Amino acid sequence: MDETTQKIKAFIVEEFMPDVPVEDLDDDFDLLTGGVVDSLGLLKVVAWLEDEFDIGVDDSELGPDSFRTVAAIKAYVDQARETAHAE
Amino acid sequence: MALTAPTGEWTDEQKSLRKSLSQHFEALNAGHLEDDAANRFNRDKWQLIRDSGVIRIPFAEQWGGLGHDVLTLVYVLENLGYGCRDTGLLFALATQVVSAAIPLQKFGSDDLKDRYLSRLIDGEIISAHAISEPNAGSDATAMITTATEDGDEYILDGKKIWITSGPLADIITVYAKTGTAGGAAGITAFLVPTDTSGFHVGEPIEKLGLNTCPFCELEFRDCRVPKENMLGKPGAGFFILEHVMNYEILCIFMMMVGEMEERMERCIKWAKTRQAFGASIGSNQYVAGKIVDMKIGLENSRKHLYDTARRFNRGRSVTTEISMAKLITSEANVASALSAIQIFGARGYTREYGLEKGLRDAIGAPIYSGTNETQRVRIASMLGL
Repeated sequence: MDETTQKIKAFIVEEFMPDVPVEDLDDDFDLLTGGVVDSLGLLKVVAWLEDEFDIGVDDSELGPDSFRTVAAIKAYVDQARETAHAE
Repeated sequence: MALTAPTGEWTDEQKSLRKSLSQHFEALNAGHLEDDAANRFNRDKWQLIRDSGVIRIPFAEQWGGLGHDVLTLVYVLENLGYGCRDTGLLFALATQVVSAAIPLQKFGSDDLKDRYLSRLIDGEIISAHAISEPNAGSDATAMITTATEDGDEYILDGKKIWITSGPLADIITVYAKTGTAGGAAGITAFLVPTDTSGFHVGEPIEKLGLNTCPFCELEFRDCRVPKENMLGKPGAGFFILEHVMNYEILCIFMMMVGEMEERMERCIKWAKTRQAFGASIGSNQYVAGKIVDMKIGLENSRKHLYDTARRFNRGRSVTTEISMAKLITSEANVASALSAIQIFGARGYTREYGLEKGLRDAIGAPIYSGTNETQRVRIASMLGL
Protein backbone atom coordinates (compact mmCIF):
# COMPACT_ATOMS: atom_id res chain seq x y z
CA MET A 1 0.00 0.00 0.00
CA ASP A 2 1.45 3.38 -0.98
CA GLU A 3 1.84 6.15 1.59
CA THR A 4 -1.04 8.30 0.31
CA THR A 5 -3.51 5.43 0.42
CA GLN A 6 -2.28 4.51 3.87
CA LYS A 7 -2.87 8.06 5.15
CA ILE A 8 -6.33 8.24 3.59
CA LYS A 9 -7.37 4.93 5.09
CA ALA A 10 -6.03 5.87 8.51
CA PHE A 11 -8.01 9.12 8.41
CA ILE A 12 -11.25 7.48 7.25
CA VAL A 13 -11.04 4.80 9.89
CA GLU A 14 -10.15 7.18 12.68
CA GLU A 15 -12.90 9.66 11.83
CA PHE A 16 -15.72 7.50 10.54
CA MET A 17 -15.10 3.80 11.28
CA PRO A 18 -13.39 3.65 14.66
CA ASP A 19 -14.30 -0.02 15.19
CA VAL A 20 -12.79 -1.20 11.90
CA PRO A 21 -9.12 -2.19 11.57
CA VAL A 22 -7.40 -0.16 8.81
CA GLU A 23 -6.45 -3.33 6.94
CA ASP A 24 -10.13 -4.29 6.64
CA LEU A 25 -11.02 -1.13 4.70
CA ASP A 26 -11.01 -2.09 1.05
CA ASP A 27 -9.79 0.46 -1.54
CA ASP A 28 -13.08 0.12 -3.43
CA PHE A 29 -15.52 0.11 -0.52
CA ASP A 30 -18.32 2.60 -1.27
CA LEU A 31 -18.09 5.12 1.56
CA LEU A 32 -21.16 7.07 0.47
CA THR A 33 -23.68 4.34 -0.26
CA GLY A 34 -22.28 2.44 2.69
CA GLY A 35 -23.32 5.39 4.90
CA VAL A 36 -19.82 5.87 6.27
CA VAL A 37 -19.30 9.44 5.03
CA ASP A 38 -22.31 11.79 5.18
CA SER A 39 -22.54 15.42 4.05
CA LEU A 40 -20.60 16.81 7.01
CA GLY A 41 -18.13 13.99 6.56
CA LEU A 42 -17.51 15.07 2.97
CA LEU A 43 -16.63 18.56 4.15
CA LYS A 44 -14.34 17.10 6.76
CA VAL A 45 -12.58 14.99 4.12
CA VAL A 46 -12.11 18.03 1.86
CA ALA A 47 -10.63 20.11 4.70
CA TRP A 48 -8.34 17.26 5.73
CA LEU A 49 -7.07 16.70 2.17
CA GLU A 50 -6.16 20.38 1.90
CA ASP A 51 -4.23 20.33 5.15
CA GLU A 52 -2.63 16.93 4.86
CA PHE A 53 -1.49 17.12 1.24
CA ASP A 54 -1.36 20.90 0.88
CA ILE A 55 -3.60 20.82 -2.18
CA GLY A 56 -6.28 23.24 -3.23
CA VAL A 57 -9.61 21.54 -3.78
CA ASP A 58 -11.33 22.97 -6.85
CA ASP A 59 -15.01 22.49 -6.16
CA SER A 60 -15.92 23.02 -9.81
CA GLU A 61 -14.42 19.60 -10.41
CA LEU A 62 -16.04 17.93 -7.44
CA GLY A 63 -18.76 15.33 -7.61
CA PRO A 64 -19.71 12.49 -5.32
CA ASP A 65 -17.52 10.06 -7.26
CA SER A 66 -14.42 12.01 -6.18
CA PHE A 67 -14.93 10.76 -2.64
CA ARG A 68 -16.84 7.52 -3.09
CA THR A 69 -13.93 5.20 -2.29
CA VAL A 70 -10.43 5.34 -0.90
CA ALA A 71 -9.14 4.65 -4.42
CA ALA A 72 -11.14 7.60 -5.78
CA ILE A 73 -9.81 9.93 -3.08
CA LYS A 74 -6.28 8.77 -3.84
CA ALA A 75 -6.83 9.46 -7.56
CA TYR A 76 -8.16 12.90 -6.69
CA VAL A 77 -5.09 13.70 -4.59
CA ASP A 78 -2.76 12.51 -7.36
CA GLN A 79 -4.60 14.64 -9.91
CA ALA A 80 -4.52 17.72 -7.66
CA ARG A 81 -0.78 17.28 -7.07
CA GLU A 82 -0.14 16.94 -10.80
CA THR A 83 -2.14 20.08 -11.49
CA ALA A 84 -0.29 22.00 -8.79
CA HIS A 85 3.05 20.74 -10.13
CA ALA A 86 2.16 21.77 -13.70
CA GLU A 87 1.31 25.28 -12.48
CA MET B 1 -19.40 59.70 10.07
CA ALA B 2 -17.94 57.37 7.48
CA LEU B 3 -17.66 53.62 7.63
CA THR B 4 -14.48 52.37 9.24
CA ALA B 5 -12.02 50.96 6.69
CA PRO B 6 -11.07 47.50 7.93
CA THR B 7 -7.40 47.64 6.94
CA GLY B 8 -5.12 49.59 4.64
CA GLU B 9 -4.76 46.79 2.10
CA TRP B 10 -7.19 48.13 -0.48
CA THR B 11 -6.31 49.56 -3.88
CA ASP B 12 -7.56 52.90 -5.12
CA GLU B 13 -9.88 51.07 -7.51
CA GLN B 14 -11.43 49.05 -4.69
CA LYS B 15 -11.82 52.14 -2.53
CA SER B 16 -13.40 54.04 -5.39
CA LEU B 17 -15.83 51.20 -6.11
CA ARG B 18 -16.83 51.05 -2.47
CA LYS B 19 -17.29 54.79 -2.20
CA SER B 20 -19.28 54.99 -5.44
CA LEU B 21 -22.28 53.37 -3.77
CA SER B 22 -22.63 56.20 -1.27
CA GLN B 23 -24.22 58.45 -3.91
CA HIS B 24 -27.27 56.12 -3.97
CA PHE B 25 -27.93 55.94 -0.22
CA GLU B 26 -30.42 58.79 -0.03
CA ALA B 27 -32.53 57.43 -2.88
CA LEU B 28 -32.31 53.87 -1.57
CA ASN B 29 -33.56 54.97 1.84
CA ALA B 30 -36.42 57.16 0.64
CA GLY B 31 -39.70 55.65 1.83
CA HIS B 32 -38.14 52.41 3.04
CA LEU B 33 -40.27 52.31 6.20
CA GLU B 34 -43.42 52.69 4.09
CA ASP B 35 -42.25 49.91 1.75
CA ASP B 36 -41.60 47.73 4.79
CA ALA B 37 -45.06 48.41 6.21
CA ALA B 38 -46.63 47.57 2.86
CA ASN B 39 -44.50 44.42 2.29
CA ARG B 40 -43.48 46.02 -1.01
CA PHE B 41 -40.52 45.18 -3.21
CA ASN B 42 -39.63 48.52 -4.78
CA ARG B 43 -38.83 48.18 -8.49
CA ASP B 44 -37.44 51.71 -8.68
CA LYS B 45 -34.90 50.84 -6.03
CA TRP B 46 -34.04 47.63 -7.83
CA GLN B 47 -33.27 49.81 -10.83
CA LEU B 48 -30.92 51.86 -8.61
CA ILE B 49 -29.19 48.66 -7.55
CA ARG B 50 -28.84 47.72 -11.21
CA ASP B 51 -27.52 51.15 -12.14
CA SER B 52 -24.97 51.07 -9.32
CA GLY B 53 -23.26 48.08 -10.97
CA VAL B 54 -22.84 46.28 -7.65
CA ILE B 55 -24.23 43.01 -8.99
CA ARG B 56 -21.51 42.97 -11.65
CA ILE B 57 -18.56 43.06 -9.25
CA PRO B 58 -17.57 39.36 -8.98
CA PHE B 59 -18.25 38.34 -12.57
CA ALA B 60 -15.96 37.99 -15.57
CA GLU B 61 -15.72 40.93 -17.93
CA GLN B 62 -16.68 38.83 -20.94
CA TRP B 63 -20.20 38.56 -19.48
CA GLY B 64 -20.39 42.22 -18.53
CA GLY B 65 -18.93 41.83 -15.06
CA LEU B 66 -16.26 43.93 -13.36
CA GLY B 67 -13.89 41.01 -12.83
CA HIS B 68 -13.24 41.46 -9.11
CA ASP B 69 -12.77 38.82 -6.44
CA VAL B 70 -15.02 37.96 -3.52
CA LEU B 71 -12.93 40.04 -1.15
CA THR B 72 -13.61 43.17 -3.21
CA LEU B 73 -17.27 42.26 -3.37
CA VAL B 74 -17.70 42.04 0.39
CA TYR B 75 -15.62 45.19 0.91
CA VAL B 76 -18.07 47.08 -1.28
CA LEU B 77 -21.14 45.41 0.20
CA GLU B 78 -20.05 46.40 3.69
CA ASN B 79 -20.47 50.03 2.67
CA LEU B 80 -23.84 49.33 1.10
CA GLY B 81 -24.98 47.74 4.37
CA TYR B 82 -23.78 50.85 6.17
CA GLY B 83 -25.70 53.29 4.03
CA CYS B 84 -28.82 51.44 2.89
CA ARG B 85 -31.54 50.86 5.48
CA ASP B 86 -33.72 48.74 3.20
CA THR B 87 -32.45 45.39 4.46
CA GLY B 88 -35.00 43.45 2.43
CA LEU B 89 -33.70 45.03 -0.76
CA LEU B 90 -30.15 44.10 0.25
CA PHE B 91 -31.32 40.56 0.89
CA ALA B 92 -32.74 40.45 -2.64
CA LEU B 93 -29.44 41.84 -3.96
CA ALA B 94 -27.38 39.16 -2.22
CA THR B 95 -29.76 36.52 -3.54
CA GLN B 96 -29.35 37.93 -7.04
CA VAL B 97 -25.56 37.66 -6.83
CA VAL B 98 -25.29 34.22 -5.27
CA SER B 99 -28.36 32.16 -6.20
CA ALA B 100 -27.94 31.65 -9.94
CA ALA B 101 -25.16 33.86 -11.34
CA ILE B 102 -22.37 32.61 -9.04
CA PRO B 103 -23.07 28.89 -9.61
CA LEU B 104 -23.69 29.55 -13.30
CA GLN B 105 -20.34 31.30 -13.69
CA LYS B 106 -18.43 28.56 -11.88
CA PHE B 107 -20.33 25.40 -12.78
CA GLY B 108 -22.47 26.19 -15.85
CA SER B 109 -21.85 25.41 -19.52
CA ASP B 110 -20.89 28.15 -21.94
CA ASP B 111 -24.26 27.74 -23.61
CA LEU B 112 -26.09 28.40 -20.33
CA LYS B 113 -23.84 31.38 -19.63
CA ASP B 114 -24.59 32.78 -23.08
CA ARG B 115 -28.29 32.53 -22.40
CA TYR B 116 -28.48 33.92 -18.89
CA LEU B 117 -25.33 35.27 -17.27
CA SER B 118 -25.22 38.75 -18.79
CA ARG B 119 -28.87 39.38 -18.00
CA LEU B 120 -28.47 38.06 -14.45
CA ILE B 121 -25.56 40.30 -13.57
CA ASP B 122 -27.31 43.26 -15.15
CA GLY B 123 -30.29 42.57 -12.90
CA GLU B 124 -32.62 42.52 -15.91
CA ILE B 125 -33.82 39.08 -14.87
CA ILE B 126 -34.25 38.29 -11.18
CA SER B 127 -33.05 35.03 -9.67
CA ALA B 128 -33.58 32.88 -6.61
CA HIS B 129 -32.61 29.45 -5.38
CA ALA B 130 -34.82 26.62 -4.17
CA ILE B 131 -33.22 24.54 -1.45
CA SER B 132 -35.44 24.22 1.66
CA GLU B 133 -38.49 21.98 1.74
CA PRO B 134 -41.34 21.64 4.25
CA ASN B 135 -39.44 18.79 5.96
CA ALA B 136 -35.87 19.64 5.02
CA GLY B 137 -34.54 23.05 6.08
CA SER B 138 -30.94 23.40 7.21
CA ASP B 139 -30.61 19.64 6.71
CA ALA B 140 -30.66 20.13 2.94
CA THR B 141 -29.56 16.58 2.19
CA ALA B 142 -32.91 15.36 3.53
CA MET B 143 -34.70 16.98 0.55
CA ILE B 144 -37.17 14.78 -1.31
CA THR B 145 -37.86 16.82 -4.46
CA THR B 146 -36.83 14.54 -7.30
CA ALA B 147 -35.32 15.10 -10.73
CA THR B 148 -35.94 11.98 -12.81
CA GLU B 149 -33.95 11.46 -16.00
CA ASP B 150 -36.13 11.01 -19.08
CA GLY B 151 -34.37 11.16 -22.46
CA ASP B 152 -32.90 14.62 -22.94
CA GLU B 153 -34.72 16.01 -19.94
CA TYR B 154 -35.08 15.77 -16.19
CA ILE B 155 -38.56 15.82 -14.66
CA LEU B 156 -38.86 17.80 -11.42
CA ASP B 157 -41.49 16.84 -8.84
CA GLY B 158 -41.81 18.20 -5.33
CA LYS B 159 -42.22 21.29 -3.15
CA LYS B 160 -39.82 23.98 -1.98
CA ILE B 161 -40.34 26.62 0.68
CA TRP B 162 -38.89 29.93 1.97
CA ILE B 163 -37.81 31.01 -1.51
CA THR B 164 -36.23 34.46 -1.20
CA SER B 165 -37.30 36.63 -4.18
CA GLY B 166 -39.37 33.66 -5.37
CA PRO B 167 -42.44 35.71 -6.38
CA LEU B 168 -40.19 38.01 -8.44
CA ALA B 169 -37.87 35.50 -9.98
CA ASP B 170 -37.48 34.82 -13.67
CA ILE B 171 -35.06 31.96 -13.13
CA ILE B 172 -34.39 29.72 -10.13
CA THR B 173 -31.60 27.32 -9.26
CA VAL B 174 -33.40 24.21 -8.08
CA TYR B 175 -31.65 21.55 -6.03
CA ALA B 176 -33.21 18.09 -6.34
CA LYS B 177 -32.49 14.43 -5.77
CA THR B 178 -31.30 12.53 -8.83
CA GLY B 179 -31.00 8.76 -8.94
CA THR B 180 -31.20 6.58 -5.88
CA ALA B 181 -28.10 7.77 -4.06
CA GLY B 182 -28.96 9.15 -0.64
CA GLY B 183 -27.50 12.06 1.32
CA ALA B 184 -25.07 14.48 -0.21
CA ALA B 185 -24.27 12.22 -3.15
CA GLY B 186 -27.72 12.40 -4.67
CA ILE B 187 -28.31 16.13 -5.10
CA THR B 188 -28.11 17.86 -8.49
CA ALA B 189 -28.62 21.54 -9.36
CA PHE B 190 -30.67 22.82 -12.30
CA LEU B 191 -31.26 26.29 -13.67
CA VAL B 192 -35.00 26.52 -14.27
CA PRO B 193 -36.88 29.44 -15.86
CA THR B 194 -40.04 30.13 -13.87
CA ASP B 195 -42.20 30.06 -17.01
CA THR B 196 -41.41 26.36 -17.49
CA SER B 197 -44.54 24.22 -17.70
CA GLY B 198 -45.20 22.47 -14.38
CA PHE B 199 -43.45 25.19 -12.35
CA HIS B 200 -45.89 26.75 -9.86
CA VAL B 201 -45.07 29.85 -7.81
CA GLY B 202 -47.01 30.36 -4.56
CA GLU B 203 -48.26 33.55 -2.95
CA PRO B 204 -45.86 35.72 -0.91
CA ILE B 205 -45.47 34.52 2.69
CA GLU B 206 -46.03 37.12 5.43
CA LYS B 207 -43.11 37.27 7.85
CA LEU B 208 -41.61 39.21 10.74
CA GLY B 209 -38.94 41.15 8.86
CA LEU B 210 -37.16 41.60 5.52
CA ASN B 211 -40.59 42.68 4.31
CA THR B 212 -39.40 44.39 1.14
CA CYS B 213 -38.11 41.06 -0.15
CA PRO B 214 -40.91 38.58 -0.80
CA PHE B 215 -40.63 34.87 0.02
CA CYS B 216 -42.87 32.11 -1.33
CA GLU B 217 -43.34 28.39 -1.84
CA LEU B 218 -42.74 26.60 -5.12
CA GLU B 219 -44.24 23.42 -6.47
CA PHE B 220 -43.01 21.29 -9.36
CA ARG B 221 -45.43 18.92 -11.04
CA ASP B 222 -44.06 17.06 -14.03
CA CYS B 223 -41.78 20.05 -14.67
CA ARG B 224 -39.49 19.15 -17.56
CA VAL B 225 -36.04 20.72 -17.68
CA PRO B 226 -33.53 20.16 -20.51
CA LYS B 227 -30.38 18.29 -19.44
CA GLU B 228 -28.27 21.21 -20.58
CA ASN B 229 -29.76 23.27 -17.73
CA MET B 230 -27.88 21.16 -15.21
CA LEU B 231 -25.14 22.96 -13.25
CA GLY B 232 -22.02 20.88 -12.73
CA LYS B 233 -22.13 17.11 -12.76
CA PRO B 234 -25.01 14.84 -11.75
CA GLY B 235 -24.76 14.48 -7.98
CA ALA B 236 -22.51 17.53 -7.60
CA GLY B 237 -25.31 19.68 -6.16
CA PHE B 238 -24.04 19.40 -2.61
CA PHE B 239 -20.68 20.91 -3.51
CA ILE B 240 -22.36 23.64 -5.55
CA LEU B 241 -24.62 24.40 -2.62
CA GLU B 242 -21.66 24.63 -0.26
CA HIS B 243 -19.92 27.07 -2.60
CA VAL B 244 -23.08 29.17 -2.92
CA MET B 245 -23.74 29.19 0.83
CA ASN B 246 -20.20 30.38 1.50
CA TYR B 247 -20.80 33.26 -0.88
CA GLU B 248 -24.22 33.95 0.57
CA ILE B 249 -22.97 34.16 4.14
CA LEU B 250 -20.05 36.40 3.21
CA CYS B 251 -22.28 38.79 1.25
CA ILE B 252 -25.29 39.02 3.56
CA PHE B 253 -23.37 39.12 6.81
CA MET B 254 -20.81 41.65 5.63
CA MET B 255 -23.68 43.99 4.81
CA MET B 256 -24.85 43.34 8.37
CA VAL B 257 -21.48 44.57 9.68
CA GLY B 258 -22.06 47.86 7.88
CA GLU B 259 -25.55 48.00 9.33
CA MET B 260 -24.21 47.40 12.85
CA GLU B 261 -21.69 50.19 12.46
CA GLU B 262 -24.32 52.68 11.31
CA ARG B 263 -26.60 51.66 14.18
CA MET B 264 -23.81 52.05 16.71
CA GLU B 265 -23.03 55.54 15.39
CA ARG B 266 -26.67 56.53 15.81
CA CYS B 267 -26.56 55.26 19.38
CA ILE B 268 -23.36 57.19 20.17
CA LYS B 269 -24.85 60.39 18.78
CA TRP B 270 -28.05 59.87 20.74
CA ALA B 271 -26.23 58.93 23.95
CA LYS B 272 -24.17 62.13 23.73
CA THR B 273 -27.15 64.43 23.21
CA ARG B 274 -30.02 62.84 25.14
CA GLN B 275 -30.14 64.24 28.66
CA ALA B 276 -31.43 62.48 31.74
CA PHE B 277 -30.91 63.35 35.40
CA GLY B 278 -28.80 66.32 34.43
CA ALA B 279 -26.31 64.55 32.21
CA SER B 280 -26.03 62.89 28.81
CA ILE B 281 -27.17 59.28 28.98
CA GLY B 282 -23.81 58.26 27.47
CA SER B 283 -22.16 59.23 30.73
CA ASN B 284 -24.22 56.51 32.39
CA GLN B 285 -21.98 53.45 32.46
CA TYR B 286 -24.91 51.09 31.83
CA VAL B 287 -25.66 52.87 28.55
CA ALA B 288 -22.01 53.27 27.61
CA GLY B 289 -21.45 49.57 28.28
CA LYS B 290 -24.16 48.62 25.81
CA ILE B 291 -22.49 50.70 23.12
CA VAL B 292 -19.09 49.20 23.95
CA ASP B 293 -20.61 45.74 23.49
CA MET B 294 -22.06 46.84 20.15
CA LYS B 295 -18.56 47.88 19.08
CA ILE B 296 -17.01 44.61 20.20
CA GLY B 297 -19.72 42.60 18.42
CA LEU B 298 -19.31 44.42 15.13
CA GLU B 299 -15.50 44.31 15.13
CA ASN B 300 -15.52 40.63 16.05
CA SER B 301 -17.93 39.97 13.18
CA ARG B 302 -15.89 42.06 10.75
CA LYS B 303 -12.67 40.29 11.62
CA HIS B 304 -14.13 36.80 11.22
CA LEU B 305 -15.85 37.64 7.96
CA TYR B 306 -12.79 39.26 6.37
CA ASP B 307 -10.52 36.44 7.55
CA THR B 308 -12.95 33.91 6.08
CA ALA B 309 -13.29 35.87 2.84
CA ARG B 310 -9.49 35.98 2.44
CA ARG B 311 -9.22 32.23 2.97
CA PHE B 312 -12.13 31.56 0.59
CA ASN B 313 -10.51 33.86 -1.94
CA ARG B 314 -7.40 31.67 -1.85
CA GLY B 315 -9.55 28.65 -2.73
CA ARG B 316 -9.25 27.03 0.69
CA SER B 317 -11.92 25.17 2.61
CA VAL B 318 -13.84 27.43 5.02
CA THR B 319 -16.27 24.96 6.59
CA THR B 320 -15.46 25.88 10.18
CA GLU B 321 -14.64 29.51 9.51
CA ILE B 322 -17.85 30.30 7.64
CA SER B 323 -20.00 28.74 10.36
CA MET B 324 -18.20 30.73 13.04
CA ALA B 325 -18.49 33.97 11.10
CA LYS B 326 -22.20 33.41 10.50
CA LEU B 327 -22.86 32.61 14.14
CA ILE B 328 -20.88 35.52 15.52
CA THR B 329 -22.34 38.09 13.15
CA SER B 330 -25.98 37.02 13.36
CA GLU B 331 -25.92 36.94 17.15
CA ALA B 332 -24.03 40.23 17.39
CA ASN B 333 -26.58 41.87 15.09
CA VAL B 334 -29.57 40.75 17.16
CA ALA B 335 -27.83 41.96 20.33
CA SER B 336 -26.94 45.26 18.66
CA ALA B 337 -30.51 45.80 17.45
CA LEU B 338 -31.93 45.09 20.93
CA SER B 339 -29.43 47.41 22.60
CA ALA B 340 -30.23 50.23 20.18
CA ILE B 341 -33.93 50.02 21.02
CA GLN B 342 -33.14 50.06 24.73
CA ILE B 343 -30.79 53.05 24.38
CA PHE B 344 -33.40 55.02 22.43
CA GLY B 345 -36.06 54.08 24.98
CA ALA B 346 -39.67 54.62 23.90
CA ARG B 347 -38.50 56.17 20.63
CA GLY B 348 -36.65 52.99 19.80
CA TYR B 349 -39.88 51.06 20.21
CA THR B 350 -41.68 53.12 17.57
CA ARG B 351 -41.72 52.49 13.85
CA GLU B 352 -40.67 56.07 13.12
CA TYR B 353 -37.06 55.57 14.19
CA GLY B 354 -36.57 52.38 12.20
CA LEU B 355 -34.81 50.62 15.04
CA GLU B 356 -37.65 48.16 15.62
CA LYS B 357 -37.43 47.27 11.92
CA GLY B 358 -33.74 46.66 12.41
CA LEU B 359 -34.57 44.14 15.13
CA ARG B 360 -37.27 42.45 13.04
CA ASP B 361 -34.84 42.16 10.14
CA ALA B 362 -32.03 40.91 12.40
CA ILE B 363 -34.00 38.08 13.99
CA GLY B 364 -34.06 36.13 10.74
CA ALA B 365 -30.28 35.87 10.55
CA PRO B 366 -29.77 33.14 13.17
CA ILE B 367 -32.29 31.10 11.12
CA TYR B 368 -31.50 31.59 7.43
CA SER B 369 -28.38 30.37 5.62
CA GLY B 370 -28.37 27.34 7.95
CA THR B 371 -29.65 27.81 11.50
CA ASN B 372 -27.12 28.70 14.15
CA GLU B 373 -27.83 25.36 15.81
CA THR B 374 -26.83 23.61 12.58
CA GLN B 375 -23.72 25.78 12.32
CA ARG B 376 -22.70 24.64 15.80
CA VAL B 377 -23.24 21.03 14.76
CA ARG B 378 -20.97 21.62 11.74
CA ILE B 379 -18.25 23.11 13.91
CA ALA B 380 -18.55 20.27 16.40
CA SER B 381 -18.27 17.77 13.56
CA MET B 382 -15.15 19.47 12.21
CA LEU B 383 -13.68 19.22 15.69
CA GLY B 384 -14.20 15.49 15.58
CA LEU B 385 -17.13 15.47 18.04
